[in-house]
Amino acid sequence: MIDFIDYLLGGISSGAIIALMALALVLVWRSTRVVNFAQLGQAMFTTYIALTVRELTGSWFLGLIIAMAAGLVVGVIVHFLVIRPVKRLDTSGAIIATFGVLIALEALAAMVWGGDPEAFPPPINNSGYEAFGRIWPFSPYDLLVLASVVFLVLALSVVFTRTNVGLAMRASAFNPEVARLSGVRVNRMLVLGWAIAGLVGAVAGVLVAPLSTLSPTSFDIFLVFAFVAAVIGGLDSLVGAVAFGIGTGLVIALVSGYSDSSNAPLVALVLLVLNLLFKPEGVFSHHKARAV
Amino acid sequence: MEALVQRFPGARLGVNAVTALVVWGLLTWVNQVIEPLMSYYLATAAMYATAMFGMTILLGLSGQVSLGNGALMAVGGYIFALTSMNWQTVPILGTPWNAVWSMVFAGFGGVVFGAAIGGIAARLRGPYLAGLTLGIAVGVPAIANRFPELLGGENGLMLQVPYPAGGYTSGDTSDEAVDDGGEVPLDEEPVYEELPDDFGDFDEEFTDEFGDELDSDPGDLSDEDLLTEDDLLSEDDFLSDDDFLTDEDFTTEDGFEADIDSDAGADLDAGLDGGSEASEGADITDPAADLDLAGVDAGLDAGFAIEQWQASMAIAVACVVGFIALNLVRGRQGRVWQAVRDDPIAAAVSGISPAGSKISAFVVSSLFAALAGAVFAQILTYVGPGAFTLGLSLSLLVGIVLGGRNSFIGAIIGAVILVWLPEFVLDVSADRGWQDQITNNAPNFIYGLLVVLVVLAAPGGIVGGIQSLAGRLRGQAKSSSSP
Repeated sequence: MIDFIDYLLGGISSGAIIALMALALVLVWRSTRVVNFAQLGQAMFTTYIALTVRELTGSWFLGLIIAMAAGLVVGVIVHFLVIRPVKRLDTSGAIIATFGVLIALEALAAMVWGGDPEAFPPPINNSGYEAFGRIWPFSPYDLLVLASVVFLVLALSVVFTRTNVGLAMRASAFNPEVARLSGVRVNRMLVLGWAIAGLVGAVAGVLVAPLSTLSPTSFDIFLVFAFVAAVIGGLDSLVGAVAFGIGTGLVIALVSGYSDSSNAPLVALVLLVLNLLFKPEGVFSHHKARAV
Repeated sequence: MEALVQRFPGARLGVNAVTALVVWGLLTWVNQVIEPLMSYYLATAAMYATAMFGMTILLGLSGQVSLGNGALMAVGGYIFALTSMNWQTVPILGTPWNAVWSMVFAGFGGVVFGAAIGGIAARLRGPYLAGLTLGIAVGVPAIANRFPELLGGENGLMLQVPYPAGGYTSGDTSDEAVDDGGEVPLDEEPVYEELPDDFGDFDEEFTDEFGDELDSDPGDLSDEDLLTEDDLLSEDDFLSDDDFLTDEDFTTEDGFEADIDSDAGADLDAGLDGGSEASEGADITDPAADLDLAGVDAGLDAGFAIEQWQASMAIAVACVVGFIALNLVRGRQGRVWQAVRDDPIAAAVSGISPAGSKISAFVVSSLFAALAGAVFAQILTYVGPGAFTLGLSLSLLVGIVLGGRNSFIGAIIGAVILVWLPEFVLDVSADRGWQDQITNNAPNFIYGLLVVLVVLAAPGGIVGGIQSLAGRLRGQAKSSSSP
């Protein structure tokens, strides 16, 4: 029982980060109906930028801020250079193009920073709190991660539900044509969706890097987890992405704890298959999946 | 030729067989003529082409974006390795085991896995399928870590038969791969055995000269000796430099004594990580390249190299697979796949099962991928999670998109690009003096950019681009001739 609690506590922060990654995928899907398989490639790239800034200035926080700005810029660039031209073509073209961006970004990062895994130490103490005569697998850094994720999700939900821009973004995601008729500049909202997704992904990258190491391909596995969480959540539901992101993180922590961490991708795969077979439209989605 | 086929429906089979046989004969001849290193490239290209024939069917004809084919190659490779290592006789027949049986089992495994994945994939579309197969590409090779005793864990399995001998040669079937494999040792083993004698004589002469006459050395022998030693030294330097650099780095940080153990561990870990997570291409071929360099030296002198055997095997498999693929695509099944791709509802109305069509495309492409994986295992003489990375799946996607997803010629062109571009970048980098980390990753960077460009500008890839260019030229010629 105490093991179970330990594993759950250990999974909270990675679950929160996976929630952010899933959120980024959902933001892009809502705006352009594209799953951005390069999302975590972008996050990896901005995390390397954060690492460089941190090495130069010694400030973790400055690294985070620069990474967020870079994530925003990279998201907008990918949208304008790749997605907007491709969207006029077929969906398989858009999917292949995002994989092309992923390949190019991973290779570019390896060219600039080298392919070897680099340490990205946490900014604050990462050893667990001590209470009731034992050490719990929950550290001040986990608390920082959790606080950052909660803050970001709350800020986004305020933007989406309480501001005109948020309303316009929701409108263009829900029904672009009616939104356009109502005077919403839909194309700008699409760009904004990609920009925010890039920013959210950048935060997730900086937060997750201390939990393992940073290498050009070290986020590949998180792409799978985030995709699983986003799809189970319904792919266009922000709430679903957050809920199932945390859920995926906890399940992975339990699987890794009770068996072995190499089983985690397989379990995620099983969850995805079960969801796609029995509830393909996702748990939180408004849309019905097409039959054929 | 089309008229002939229309008059005699059975002629299609003959035309395809002749096509495959001509290609096989041509490549086999080329393989005899070229140098062993080129044979190695030929073998790799044929392996990629085998896998990408399946991508042509899956992505081009059936319109499904799958990243799982690298994982299916892993299935084929592991089945090949396990059966060829553990089974001495064919279970029921009792005849000696050989590589063809391992290929058959690998293909069977591919069909089973393909049917399982296809059954799920048939219900999915677009990004869902891509995401699911992405998970398969990441997750399935990790199964090896689950069963370290059976599958070798992170280190993988070394195939016990790197050279055609023993089980490989005792072929009693009529497949080309075995014929080639069977001929080779019979012809070449005596030649191969002469090699140590030469070296022995040479050594004796060398010591004699050293002992007796230091000043009046004959020039020829020492020159040859220097050349080969240079080659060996440069390779050794390259390897040991890496080791020394990391060692020094570590020791300056922490002190000397305590580091010897931890360094070894750290280096090993870094090496393993680099191997398993490295961004494909260059890293996958590296171990094989090291092995080959040894083989090249021996093979050049013996007049035969293991690469030529590997290439003849890979070519034979690619041609058999190509023959099957041609028959499927040029027949009814090809039209069924295209019909479902272009309009599933219309296809269903015409009495075609969209799900069945998608599953059959998956099964066929999985069969091809598994066979390619078995060939890959023989080229590397190794299977392991580090060989079948996500990068491998991605490079198959890159190859088929660049070459042209709608034709087998496109798959072949893509395979050649995948083999040629890293070598081209190596040449350029040798001229310009690039750093290793740029040289090793530049090919992938170029692939990524090219994929985006091709999707934007020429969705049909190189073949599609040439076709539309030719069509445009022809259209211009017509419009100018008859205004």
